[in-house]
Order: sequence, then C-alpha cells, then structure tokens
Amino acid sequence: MTDRHPSIAPPLSNHRHVVATSVYVSLRRESEMPLIVKDHTWTQNQNTVYISVPLKGVKPASVHVTCTDEYLKVSFPPFLFEVFLFGSINEERSEARIGNGVAVFTLQKRRDESWEQLFTNIDKDKQKQIREQAVLKVQQKEAEKSKAKAARIQQEKKYALETMMKLENKERDRIQKMKDEECARATAELDFWRETQRKTAEEKENQQKTRGTGPQDNQPVNQKTVTLMRNTGDTTSGQRSRKQTAKDLPAPRSAGCIQISFTPRVFPTALRESRVPEEEEWLKKQAEARRAVDTDLAELDDLREDERNPDWLKEKGDKLFMSGNYQAAVNAYNLAIKLNRKIPALFSNRAACHLKLRNLHKAIEDSSQALELLKPAVAANASARLKAHVRRGTAFCELELYVEGLQDYQAALEIDPHNAALRADSDKICEIIQGTT
Amino acid sequence: MSSALEKPQIIAHIQKSLNYTVFDSQWIPCSAKFVCMGNFARGSGVLQIYEIQHGELQLVREIEKAKPIKCGTFGATSLQQRHLATGDFDGSLNVWNLEVPESPVYSVKAHKEIINSIDGVGGLGIGDGAPEIVTGSRDGTVKVWDSRQKDTPVVNMEPMEGETKRDCWTVAFGHAFNDQDRCVCAGYDNGDIKLFDLRNMSLRWETNIKNGVCSVEFDRKDINMNKLVATSLEGKFHVFDMRTQHPTKGFASVSEKAHKSTIWQVRHLPQNRDIFMTAGGAGNLHLWKYEYPAQRTKKGADDVDMGVAGSVNLLQNVTLSTQPISSLDWSPDKQGLCVCSSFDQSVRVLIVTKLNTV
Repeated sequence: MTDRHPSIAPPLSNHRHVVATSVYVSLRRESEMPLIVKDHTWTQNQNTVYISVPLKGVKPASVHVTCTDEYLKVSFPPFLFEVFLFGSINEERSEARIGNGVAVFTLQKRRDESWEQLFTNIDKDKQKQIREQAVLKVQQKEAEKSKAKAARIQQEKKYALETMMKLENKERDRIQKMKDEECARATAELDFWRETQRKTAEEKENQQKTRGTGPQDNQPVNQKTVTLMRNTGDTTSGQRSRKQTAKDLPAPRSAGCIQISFTPRVFPTALRESRVPEEEEWLKKQAEARRAVDTDLAELDDLREDERNPDWLKEKGDKLFMSGNYQAAVNAYNLAIKLNRKIPALFSNRAACHLKLRNLHKAIEDSSQALELLKPAVAANASARLKAHVRRGTAFCELELYVEGLQDYQAALEIDPHNAALRADSDKICEIIQGTT
Repeated sequence: MSSALEKPQIIAHIQKSLNYTVFDSQWIPCSAKFVCMGNFARGSGVLQIYEIQHGELQLVREIEKAKPIKCGTFGATSLQQRHLATGDFDGSLNVWNLEVPESPVYSVKAHKEIINSIDGVGGLGIGDGAPEIVTGSRDGTVKVWDSRQKDTPVVNMEPMEGETKRDCWTVAFGHAFNDQDRCVCAGYDNGDIKLFDLRNMSLRWETNIKNGVCSVEFDRKDINMNKLVATSLEGKFHVFDMRTQHPTKGFASVSEKAHKSTIWQVRHLPQNRDIFMTAGGAGNLHLWKYEYPAQRTKKGADDVDMGVAGSVNLLQNVTLSTQPISSLDWSPDKQGLCVCSSFDQSVRVLIVTKLNTV
C-alpha cells in the first residue's frame, strides 16, 4: 500500500467534512489506509435510492460490499466508500450491480420519503457502533450461509447414499430371484421325475398283476414276491437284476485271516493327541542325560570301573533302599549324582531315601530337582513325575506345610486320576487344612 | 443369465429337524425314499424312513431298536429285496427287511465294540461276485461277512498278537470288477490306510497320512480300481491314483486342504466318477472335480512305472449348518439329488444343479 500523503491524521470525526474533490489519505485504526471515495453520485425517488460509485479501474471481483439497514460500505482496495444513510433501508430487498467500472446500488427505502441528503451526521461513537454492527451482521450472514451449505451437502450425501443402497438392493434381489428360479426349476424337475417313477411303478404293478406269478418261478434265489415292493423302479434295472439272480452266485469266500500291524510310534497316543514337540524334547533330554558324565573329579581316580557308572550306582542304591539301608543308599545316589547331574531318577530315589531318614527338607529339595529335570511333561515320564509329586507332598505334610503338600497331591492326581489311595490321602489333607483354619 | 450361475449350485431343497441324533442317511435304491439312522436320547436306536412329497418330507415308518445304530448300507442287497445292513453301537451287524423290521434277516455279533463304518458290494445290480458286507470297528478289526454264512466272517483283518490296536474309522470296497477280485480299504485313527486284496488274502498296500482317516471311498466299486479318496482330520484329503502301483512308493496322490476342520465324509457322484463331495466339520459341503493328468504313468528312477496324480478343482461350496455334516449320500437314480445329515439333529435333501455340464 503506497503511502502518498502521510500526514498526521486529523481527528477521525473530521474526515467526513473534508471537501472531497481529491482523494485524501486518512490513517484509520481499523483498516489499511484505504482511499476514501468521494466522487459518487446518487439519485432518489419516493421509495428507492440509487447510488453510483465509480470503481476507478478496480476489478469487480475485488469489490466487497457491506450493507446494513443504516449503513453501506463498499471496499475495493485501495479505495473505500462508506455512507451512513439518512434513512433506513430494507437491506434484503436492495441490490447491487457491479460492473462496467461502476457499482450501482439500488436501495429500497423503508419509509417512502424523500431524503434531503445521502448522509446523516452522526457522531463518532454512533458511527463506530454502526460499523461494528455491520461487521457482526456480515459475520452472521457468513455463518448462516456456511451452515446452509453444510446442510445442503449433508442432504445430498444422504440422497446419494440412499440411491446407492437402492441400487445395491435391486442387484441383490435380482441375484436372489435368479437363485430362486433355479431352485424352483430343480424342484419342478424333481417332482416330475418322481411322478414318472410312480407312474412306471404303477404300470409295472398292473402288468405284474395281470401276468400273474409266472415270471417269478424263474428266479431260484429270490423268495420275496415282487408285488410287496411298491416302487420297483424302472424296467431296465428290474431286468438287469433278474438276469443276475438267474445265474448262480459264487459260493461264499473260504475263510481267510489277514494279520496287520500298525505304524509304530514311540509314544502310545495317536498323532492327533500327541504333543510332538514336547515329546521330541523329552527324548532329546533323555539322550543327553545319558551322555553327560562329569569326569573331572579328583576322587574318581580311586573308584572302580563299576563305581564310575551312574546306572550301576543307581541300581546299587535301589538295592540298598530295598534292604532298608537308607544311608548307604543315599551315599550311592550322591556319587551317581556327582557323576551325572541330569538323571531325574537319581534325585527322585534319593528323595525317597531322605523321606525314610526323615530328612524332610532334603527330600523336598531332591524331589523338586527331579521334577525340574522331568520337564517337559509328557506321557512317557508320567509315572516318574507322579512319584516325585507324591514324595514331595508327603514331605510337606510331615513338615505340617499342608497347603503345599495338598498342591503336590493335586498335581499327582492330575497325572493319575484313578488312584484311590492318592484320592484318599488328598481328602485327608483337605480335612486337616479345613480343621485348622 | 450371468456367469455366476454357470457353476453347479448346491440348493438346500428340504430341511427337516429330527428329535434324535442322526448318524447316517441312505437312499433306498430306486425310490424317492431314504432311511435315517441314529439314536434317541433314551439310548435306543432308531430307523426312520422318509419320502419326499411335494417339497416336504413325510415320515413313512419309524422303527425303534434296542441299540443305537451307527451306519448302514444297501450295497449288498438285490434291487428287489433292498435289505438294509446296519452296524450298531454294540458291535452287532444286522440286515433288515424294512417291510418286516421286527427281526433281522441276518444278524451276528460282529465286533466287540462299536461298528464305525460299513460297506456293501455285489448288490443292486452293480458288479459281479457274491454280495458281501465289510465292517470296521473300534476294536481295530475289519471283517467281511457273507449273509449265507452265519456267525463267522469270511475274512478277518485283525492286529497281530501283542500289537496295540487302533480304531478303524472307515472301510470301503473296491476293485470288484469280476467274480473273484475284490479289495477292501480301511482307514484308522492313527492315519494308517490299508488296502487288502481279498483274492490273495493279503495286504496289498499301506500308507500313513499322519492324521486320523475319517472316510475312504473308491470312485467306483465295480471297476478296476481307479481312484481312492481318503479324508482326514484337520481338513486334508488325499486322492490316490490307484491304477499304477509302484513297489516301494505305492500309489501317487494329490492332497488338498479344505474345510479348516475335520472332513467327515467323501462321496462320489454315482453318475460321474470324477465328481465328489466332501462334508466338513464346520457344516459345509465342497463339490470337487478331479482332472486327470496328461499322462497317468511315468517311468521312475529305476525304470519302474509310477503313477501320476492329477489335480482337484473346487466347483462349489456351501455352508448349511454350524455342526458337522456326518453323512452324505447321492441318489443313484436322480443325478444331483443327495441327502445329508448333520449333528444338529437335522437331515437335509439337497439338489446340485448343472452337473451334466461340468
């Protein structure tokens, strides 16, 4: 915006009284230094005022009109024309025509009277008020317009959606109709076929009746009379079967027996019940355990060959356990475990020994260790796990830790639900727990 | 018409809700009637005969028996007699005359446990040779019976001494193209499929498909064995080309995964042996067509003939119920008509259209 005549602005209220033959720049607070237009012309008649404002070369597109009932502002940067109207007008019925270098306003007066002049002289505050009102009004109008537009768009969308739905429904109905027709046709065919069947059957029956029992004598095997069956079927199959029964059937097959075997499996459950990954894991673990021998122990040098074999030691320990020598059995298992820490049976059996020796804590430790080694839980190690659970449960109960003991007994029952002794024991423990709490 | 309806359509023509669990349904040959077999909630077996009339099922006859009935077949009777052979939960094989059902025509305590599957051959004017019935049971044995011989089977396929037994879930006859030849195929719950040759009284072929075998069927019983379809748990079925047997590799096969659940039954269309329908555990039916390969045999590595398996195409599928469809039977008289029963205690009559243009 060029600043042609910067000067200290006179008080705002005075700018209207400047003689308007030339353009005058005034610094106004609200706008961006527009040039006030003063060379407008106006005429009037009884009910209309015509104002003509030259556009001074500004394109009609950039003309912005704000009009209320008492105020008209035309802003076409860098020019501005505003007028506080002498009388009030009907803004809705007024119109503006912008083009050909001039903006013509046709304002409808509210009251049919003749205006002495276009302007009214009103003070600064009133002017400000009117301007603000005008701005508000414009905003309102804009808001309303946008709302109306939104509503219209909504309407159109709904309409589009409805039409789409209608079209799709039509398509669906059409396909359904086709399917139904097909169905009806097939049903009709079926009924027709049955009718023909029945008719031929009846005909055949009548034929049979008239012919008597003659043909039936030729069938040596068939004892039943044909008339018992109502629907004997079409004639061709009847003839075929008669031909077959006419010749002798081969004698019953001489008895035979074929022995079969089934695909072998390491585990007894069928593939659908087996848990193959876990079972493989268990097998691998077993294989590893057998191989793991901890040989760098100094004491091993003075052991015999037998005593270096964990299996032999385990057997020895078992024998000692049977004969009641629990401490010696523990020693044997200790040595075996030193050689191979991965065999769960050793820990489990040592736990049994400790139970007998009333070393309850050690029993618990050992059976826990055994259970650790017996993961993953598969059908193959079920009995081993059962024993370990029972031993640990017993140890807990002896220590009066009944809740933990009950947990182990429950686990054991899960493995073997049909064991009556287990069930009796766990019931007893339940009672004890309930009795003490 | 749009191209969508050029494929065969499976139309549920009639559906009937029953008040008992139905295990099997079979068409009575040369009629518009079928038999449903099952058991009442009170533990007794039932046979119901229905007739299709004017788009509805009319109950013609209801027969109650002591033990629940698991399976039945008309395969071993003549067209005049149309006796039904049934296997029940007790292991008894009975052959009934449905007009006089009070006492069976032939009865034998076939197995110690439930008879899971039954098949008949030599009757209905199909094939040559003596009519025989084969039963497969949970006690791991497969026995072949002839109604002229009482009390003992003519062939017994049993596990060897000391062998843990596996349930036999399905049996089927095949290769019965002359008086002497006959084969029995049995499927077990551990995935074993065994083919027994009854002429030589020997095991001809066996294989294992890793999952329990729910149903086996030859495409035709009365021809030189051509194709065998075996369905299993977990939605897989295998089609074996039975024309060429390799000494070590056995028969060539193609397998397909469908249904996402157990495939309970497979049945070939009587009028076209390359079309078959599989019934699944999710209540759906798939209609398949087998395409033969360009060459059915080829020379293997050691210059021995090997079979070549073809391919299967899915023609159509439909979901009828939420419960497994346990049995399916095509009508031998009208192409495309079939009856199926499912565990939602209902039986449905279906029409499959456009099978002659497939």
